[in-house]
Amino acid sequence: MVAPSATLSTLNRADGSASYQCPSTGSNILGSVNAPVELPGRRDALRPEDATIEVFVKPGTAPAGVGERYVEGILKTLLGRVILGREKGYPRRGVVITLAIIGGENVSRGDPYLILLPALLHTALLALLSASVPLSMTFSATVLAVDAAGQILREPSAEDAATAQSLHVLAFSSKGHLLLNESQGAFDLDTWEKVRQRASAICHGTQLVSADGDVAMAEDVDGRPLEGSLREMVEDQVYRDYNWQINAA
Amino acid sequence: MAAPPPALTLPPSQFARLQPHAYLLAHLSPPASSNQPSIRANGRASSQFRPTSANTGSLTHTNGSAVVRVGDTTAVCGVRAELLPTSDIASWSVSRSGAANNAQQRQTSSNSNSNDEIDPEESQIQDFNLLVPNLSLSTGCAPGFVPGAPPSALAQSLSHQILALLHSTRLVRADDLRVWYQVPRLGETDTKGQGQGEGGMDVDDDTTTHGQGKREIKAFWALYIDIMIVSLAGNPFDAAWAAVLAALRDTKLPRAWWDVDNEMVVCSDAVAEARRLALRGLPVASSFCVFEADAAAGWRAVIVPDAEEEREIEESARKGMLRRWVLADPDGYEEGLSQERVCVVVDKVDGKTVIVKLEKNGGWAVDGRELKQLVEIAADRWEAVKEILEQC
Repeated sequence: MVAPSATLSTLNRADGSASYQCPSTGSNILGSVNAPVELPGRRDALRPEDATIEVFVKPGTAPAGVGERYVEGILKTLLGRVILGREKGYPRRGVVITLAIIGGENVSRGDPYLILLPALLHTALLALLSASVPLSMTFSATVLAVDAAGQILREPSAEDAATAQSLHVLAFSSKGHLLLNESQGAFDLDTWEKVRQRASAICHGTQLVSADGDVAMAEDVDGRPLEGSLREMVEDQVYRDYNWQINAA
Repeated sequence: MAAPPPALTLPPSQFARLQPHAYLLAHLSPPASSNQPSIRANGRASSQFRPTSANTGSLTHTNGSAVVRVGDTTAVCGVRAELLPTSDIASWSVSRSGAANNAQQRQTSSNSNSNDEIDPEESQIQDFNLLVPNLSLSTGCAPGFVPGAPPSALAQSLSHQILALLHSTRLVRADDLRVWYQVPRLGETDTKGQGQGEGGMDVDDDTTTHGQGKREIKAFWALYIDIMIVSLAGNPFDAAWAAVLAALRDTKLPRAWWDVDNEMVVCSDAVAEARRLALRGLPVASSFCVFEADAAAGWRAVIVPDAEEEREIEESARKGMLRRWVLADPDGYEEGLSQERVCVVVDKVDGKTVIVKLEKNGGWAVDGRELKQLVEIAADRWEAVKEILEQC
């Protein structure tokens, strides 16, 4: 399994940005975040104590359609719970997240966005971190396909997804909560439990809580847990940004 | 002497507007001394759905129609069928060969889907966009939606959800939408080049049933499924999906055949010859929202407890700020007060519950244990909706 890779702060004019590639699903996403910004025509009657989150998803070749509206809605609801929109400077302002799909399979009409969803979520998270938007927790997400034989396939390609019995996208917070679940196709609860376990292992590894409460992330068949990979991407960027200081000391 | 000034009292309806969160919370967690049961502000128990009614065949200009009312949310759905001649499909001859290639692949994917025979070209519905649902909220259904305005993000995402669900449940059979033509055998075999290329597969399939010639598809029925939410009081998806389901069950397609002399598809206007769609299963949607007691969460720093720690707190032992309620079929008032949503679409095959869609987003209250309960509630709801749809 090839791990996803990402670069942070690739765009100069945006407050925060990230470029994310996931080799197994072939997706390549560029995300930018502007926050906090003054939004034109904002109605204060709508939750004046909170920040407004706007998400735009731009598909690679076509203008955005109803599928994009739907995935924007999913991202908005999830990020709405993660972004601390009531911190100083954020209420009545906007957090604008733009995600451009610049590579990978095209999503045709009526197709679910499920395969791309984890990449979109990760890009949004990294771009938010790069823009230093206050978050209550981070998250990691994965997509799993279950085929007719009941085999669970991690991060399927578009062809695998087309023949799969069911598709599942799960996102876990850094504290282990199930933040998002999008499943479609016929399945039963036992299958879902298995999928959830596997997804949890992919995102967090099999957790070993030591006596002093530290959580160690163990590696298993799925390689490095995603949570760790994402953390490392940010750490690398921070190290690069503060290189001058570290070298000077 | 003047009477003492009246005490400041508010009728419940005003309290509900001024302090919506506290109002619902007070209903759900009444003080122990009052001996009142925990009940939602609208008088329902937490897993109770609103009264639902359905009516079919009200619109005479459609092939099938339905009006579904779930409480105060009303959805009107009309299905209009239009013919799509294969000569108008640009990719028709190309996609035919492609379809034959991955027929084997598709077959393996769908063979566990029991009792109906496998259609290797089921994907034609998706490939040629034969199902076109569109949901409209710009009807003055709720104060927030301006009539006549362009479709809002909510309307667009609901349209997409309905289309995705139609595709993933494979509710409509591709075979119901095909208009076949039996090529008569005139002396030699058909010499048309296109016929040769596409013929291979169909001949293999059909030679046993009719020996006199090959069959070819001359046209498809495209179904335009238009849904109008006439009145919106929360939970539009359940009502819209039930309306689509009822309308499709009501849909009758006229008998259509290829007229060789005119080289066009003609339809019979005899009602007796029209046939209904044979739908696969009866997926029923149930939506839920999670109401959290912690109204002030946003005003102070959020301290989210660890999932492991949280799992150890039993629901009954949850106190004060940590309490939460999963409410079935939320109305508009409750939707405005909750962020986390769950949508379960279930079907039953031979008495066994099959989940066809499971969505949860916007929070962390619902996990495996809660979802299991919700699937059970959704299975009960399936029985109720089935009864309603069969009566209309």
